[in-house]
Amino acid sequence: MASGVTSQASALKRKDSAPTREGDQLIITPLGAGNEVGRSCVYMSYRGKTVLFDCGIHPAYSGMAALPYFDEIDPSTIDILLVTHFHLDHAASLPYFLEKTTFKGRVFMTHATKAIYRLLLSDYVKVSKVSVEDMLYDEQDILRSMDKIEVIDFHQTVEVNGIRFWCYTAGHVLGAAMFMVDIAGVRVLYTGDYSREEDRHLRAAEIPQFSPDICIIESTYGVQLHQPRVIREKRFTDVIHSTISQGGRVLIPAFALGRAQELLLILDEYWSNHPELHNIPIYYASPLAKRCMAVYQTYINAMNERIRNQFANSNPFDFKHISPLKSIENFDDVGPSVVMASPGGLQSGLSRQLFDRWCTDKKNACVLPGYVVEGTLAKIIINEPKEVTLINGLTAPLNMQVYYISFSAHADFAQTSTFLKELMPPNIILVHGEANEMARLKQKLITQFADQNTKIISPKNCQSVEMYFSSEKMAKAIGRLAERTPEVGSTVNGLLVKKGFTYQIMASEDLHVFSQLSTANITQRISVPYTGAFGVIKHRLNRIYESVVSPQEEADVPTIIVHERVTIRHESESLVSLQWTSDPISDMVSDSVVALILNINREGPKVIMPAVENNNNNNKREEETERMAQKVTFALLVSLFGDVKVGEEGKLVVTVDGDVARLDGKNGDVECDNEALKDRVRTAFRRIQSAVRPIPLSAS
Amino acid sequence: MGTSVQVTPLCGVYSENPLCYLLSIDGFNFLLDCGWNDFCDTNLLQPLSRVSSKIDAVLLSHPDILHIGALPYAIKHLGLFAPIYATEPVYRLGLLTMYDYYLSRRQVSDFDLFTLDDIDAAFQNVIRLTYSQNYHLSDKGEGIVIAPHVAGHLLGGTVWKITKDGEDVVYAVDFNHRKERHLNGTVLESFVRPAVLITDAYNALNNQLYKRQRDQEFLEAILKVLRANGNILLPVDTAGRVLELLLILEQYWSQQHLSFPIFFLTNVATSSIDYVKSFLEWMSDSIAKSFEHTRDNAFLLKHINIIINKSELENIPDIPKVVLASMPSLEVGFSHDIFVDWATEARHTILFTERGQFGTLARMLQVDPPPKAVKVTMSKRIPLIGDELKAYEEEQERIKKEAALKSNVNKELRASQGSDAKAGDTMVIDASSSHISSDVTASRVGGFRDIFIDGFVPPATSVAPMFPYFENSAEWDDYGEVINPDDYIIKDEDMNGASAQGFGGDIDNKLDEGSAHLLLDTTPSKVVSNELTVQVKCSLVYMDFEGRSDGRSIKSILAHVAPLKLVLVHGSAEATEHLKEHCSKHVCPHVYAPQIEETIDVTSSLCAYKVQLSERLMSNVLFKKLGEYEISWIDAEAGKTNDMLTLFPVSSTPPTHKSVLVGDLKLADFKQFLASKGIQEALYVAASM
Repeated sequence: MASGVTSQASALKRKDSAPTREGDQLIITPLGAGNEVGRSCVYMSYRGKTVLFDCGIHPAYSGMAALPYFDEIDPSTIDILLVTHFHLDHAASLPYFLEKTTFKGRVFMTHATKAIYRLLLSDYVKVSKVSVEDMLYDEQDILRSMDKIEVIDFHQTVEVNGIRFWCYTAGHVLGAAMFMVDIAGVRVLYTGDYSREEDRHLRAAEIPQFSPDICIIESTYGVQLHQPRVIREKRFTDVIHSTISQGGRVLIPAFALGRAQELLLILDEYWSNHPELHNIPIYYASPLAKRCMAVYQTYINAMNERIRNQFANSNPFDFKHISPLKSIENFDDVGPSVVMASPGGLQSGLSRQLFDRWCTDKKNACVLPGYVVEGTLAKIIINEPKEVTLINGLTAPLNMQVYYISFSAHADFAQTSTFLKELMPPNIILVHGEANEMARLKQKLITQFADQNTKIISPKNCQSVEMYFSSEKMAKAIGRLAERTPEVGSTVNGLLVKKGFTYQIMASEDLHVFSQLSTANITQRISVPYTGAFGVIKHRLNRIYESVVSPQEEADVPTIIVHERVTIRHESESLVSLQWTSDPISDMVSDSVVALILNINREGPKVIMPAVENNNNNNKREEETERMAQKVTFALLVSLFGDVKVGEEGKLVVTVDGDVARLDGKNGDVECDNEALKDRVRTAFRRIQSAVRPIPLSAS
Repeated sequence: MGTSVQVTPLCGVYSENPLCYLLSIDGFNFLLDCGWNDFCDTNLLQPLSRVSSKIDAVLLSHPDILHIGALPYAIKHLGLFAPIYATEPVYRLGLLTMYDYYLSRRQVSDFDLFTLDDIDAAFQNVIRLTYSQNYHLSDKGEGIVIAPHVAGHLLGGTVWKITKDGEDVVYAVDFNHRKERHLNGTVLESFVRPAVLITDAYNALNNQLYKRQRDQEFLEAILKVLRANGNILLPVDTAGRVLELLLILEQYWSQQHLSFPIFFLTNVATSSIDYVKSFLEWMSDSIAKSFEHTRDNAFLLKHINIIINKSELENIPDIPKVVLASMPSLEVGFSHDIFVDWATEARHTILFTERGQFGTLARMLQVDPPPKAVKVTMSKRIPLIGDELKAYEEEQERIKKEAALKSNVNKELRASQGSDAKAGDTMVIDASSSHISSDVTASRVGGFRDIFIDGFVPPATSVAPMFPYFENSAEWDDYGEVINPDDYIIKDEDMNGASAQGFGGDIDNKLDEGSAHLLLDTTPSKVVSNELTVQVKCSLVYMDFEGRSDGRSIKSILAHVAPLKLVLVHGSAEATEHLKEHCSKHVCPHVYAPQIEETIDVTSSLCAYKVQLSERLMSNVLFKKLGEYEISWIDAEAGKTNDMLTLFPVSSTPPTHKSVLVGDLKLADFKQFLASKGIQEALYVAASM
């Protein structure tokens, strides 16, 4: 097994140079999320099967620029596309890919992901303020894509074109999955975003039962370590509590779905336990999240035991202290309050409007609860600059307190390293991480797995990772064929049946037993008009075939059997019938028999026709033959030597690598300095002559 | 050699008795279903009791009494301790079905074969799987893979596929190939050529109407009765087929804007519907699709009143109504009581949607012509009064005293062992109430919080409030005070603790309040019964909503699946014989229908060995593609590499072999082929040939 990172171009070159290994080559190419966070999309191909993991957009860009590098691949070759969860950076380019490209494979995601995907993308289309030509897709495209998306439940094994795959709980958000793909025994695990920590409503990511050969893993948090969840939750509630007790307002910019539900659970519970806070309103400004509540209420089986137990009593997502907020116009900003608003990066929308309004007051606080993407305002204010640019272009002093308390359910270094230690994959590919973090993680993992010969690779976008898996093709011999195990040196003959990537060897008689295929016999019967005596046929056949017999039992009409294959029956005075079971040899025999019968029909003497023809006619014919022969000779020489010209005196001039040979078309004399060429031309001419001229009758 | 496979029926062959079979694969014993009948007849479990301790795994296929009923009893009394495998809905709905069954029984008898706790204990061992999940067994079952697949019939219903060494054993009972409102059809037809198929002959002699026609007749029949001012009772199961009926009614009611009330009455009605709402993943594609598009849960029933108490039904005025009540047998449960109330009036109708179990009241009423009168036992649980109460209390007192006496003896024993243990008890630091201050923000927060006085109550004996003082009686050793490290560990679950308490255990919450009183009811009570004869004047209708494939479809499915060996179970003797005869003619030569405790060996006569295909051989192989198969003829020579049998290309010219023609030649295809090559063809049917 070898692996290495090469560019796409040289990957193609290698393919040409090593065609024999092509089948065993596994290629993984990140089309997005290679050394970056956003637009997750990883391409994988092995043994002519192609899988695409995720299909996201980059939240910091808009229009075509936000897409993964789809140009690098041919969408029509992709067999399956697996989407891990509903976040925009993992699913939002799906309608584009399904509707605007040549993709014709199948798409899979979990039930919850599909339900939220539709709501989320409709919202994304509405909210994103780009010009019409920059729009990647519209509402109609999303609806159409819904019909093409198939659902898969956790642990359910699905097989498509010989690719087997199933998914595990990933813990990141509701419905998030890690996909395990098995192609011809080589297993690849794609984690998507995952978290190994159980929280208020989600289960921790599972550790797969089988170790994969390749693990494509996210590296969002690199080598950072999360504080324990309890401490984070306490910091979060304490910050909020202290801010509002001082009369300040708290802004929580959060993405509408996923972690926001977790934060709401925390806040609602905290408020229930602190009656003194009941007069402080909590607003949740997301109609989208409200619409998604039904999904959260339904797919409780994808959540943890805690929620399932609460569900028995009452719906935990029916918040008692949190009220929805439609828009900033409906917001009565009079006293302390807590507002959770999207988007999480403060790019635009309600969270930005509130930020602009509140950022100058030092009593106020902004709590950033999740991973902040490079290039957004949220990333800028983390470093607490003195001034910020408002949405109207003016600058304002940044006085409000900014806290960064991460609740984004991504694995930290401790989780990543224990996860990998449990799995022990021989190859690790890092994606979905900012370049620096990823490099640090890679270094640390290399030291950790130093003695295990583990390969750790972090390809950039469009950079292909190639690996070779020497596949041991195993076959199972079954049925009659397997009645005794062959000794070394004995032969095995039978049908090799391949289905997907499994091979079976069986006797042809067993084919219908072990597969849906069946064997068939084709009996052919042909009637040939024949008026001559039947004995003539037998006589002629006897001269060609060794075994021409009449059947033992008396038939109603005269019958002969040739080589136990073809039965010839003299049906009537004017008809002979042939019957045989189709196979290459019988077909050939029967063909010759038919030709023979037809020839007898045309009267034997025709064979010596040329002899009785008159001379005049004969001469003309000879001339014609001669002209034809010359033409054919010339054409054959051209095809043999390439550069052939007709020189003076009807001589043919053959030029090969500078050597010139002159060939006399009449008698076959060759003039040439190069002995080798001379010989070759002479031989060629002799052979051509013998082929194009009729065999002289006098010779026989 | 192939894998050894034996099947031994323990119950439910040549009859419609509950299902329970033993399947052993290379010595690993599977119990396929563990059903019981409506009377909890312990005699039926005799065969099971003889093998129960040897069982390694239990596979459940449907959440109804016939498939899971005996589970609590078997685990409690028969020593069944193997892990149980089932899908999530079979687990949940099965649990609720058992609750409902127990509560219905308990209401009218001193039912003591198992208790609610036994049900809970039994279902604790259930390992939940999803459809098409390949679950690899470990230890003794190493190499065996089990996978549940969609069966139809009931929510979560399962066709089990058990695979070892590439050989499939399929257990498919009560499947339904038709897609219904809430369920997809079975995927049984996608299994081709399993080594063994175990299936039932229950419906082999039944043929059904078309679904649309049947639904229409069903609704018309109901409406006719309602318009004639009558009530309709549908005796239904707890959470199985009733779901389909509810959907049919709900849909029709909202289409037609009908105002007749519908009631769904079981002991666990509300919880079962709540759980069903969260099982959308397991239902039909159309339900999933409508949820994805509109987020309307199909089981958000607007026209159906879900009630758990018969008194609610009695409180409403006497207007025409539809009542779906458990149990389907009419032997016990709400359906029994309602039947007795309504049977005497001709305007009412009892509509059966499934065949009753043999010997039950439902079955008696389904015969043609229906009986004029039936004898029923009315039983009631009433609280004890007067002398009986006194006697009961005395008995309880006596038991208590005995227990106390026993524990006293124990206590004394313990006390004599060590008295110093008590000294440490007083020194309990309440770590959970002392907040963690391991955070930067904590210092700022502290200023505006009230002083923590919770739990500080001045002792009654003291003159003035004072802090409690505990004498420090800590032990010391050479290294200082002996501490309990647990006291100093920061409790991780601090934040969760507060909320978790409010929700309590899993089991208690699942029960509806109405039935909870029965559970927690400690008031002494007894059962009084009186026999009475009920004149059956109401009309009785039977319509098949069992949701099983009918005889014709079963035959065509079996012919399509074409197992190498077929085992028939569960079905009346005639049905079993009929199907056996049919299958041995049309499906496969090896059809078995074993008797109870008769072990049949269905080990396939299949020989097999594994070989490695060398790269040299494979590079010479040219495959022909045929559908999803690729085929090639190989002539190879056996050799060895690394102890593995390997095939290499033959060194000499291979002997000629008979050419093999694979696939069906169809004249139509041939014609098309000729046409595509531009050859004019004329095909005639030659009748004389």
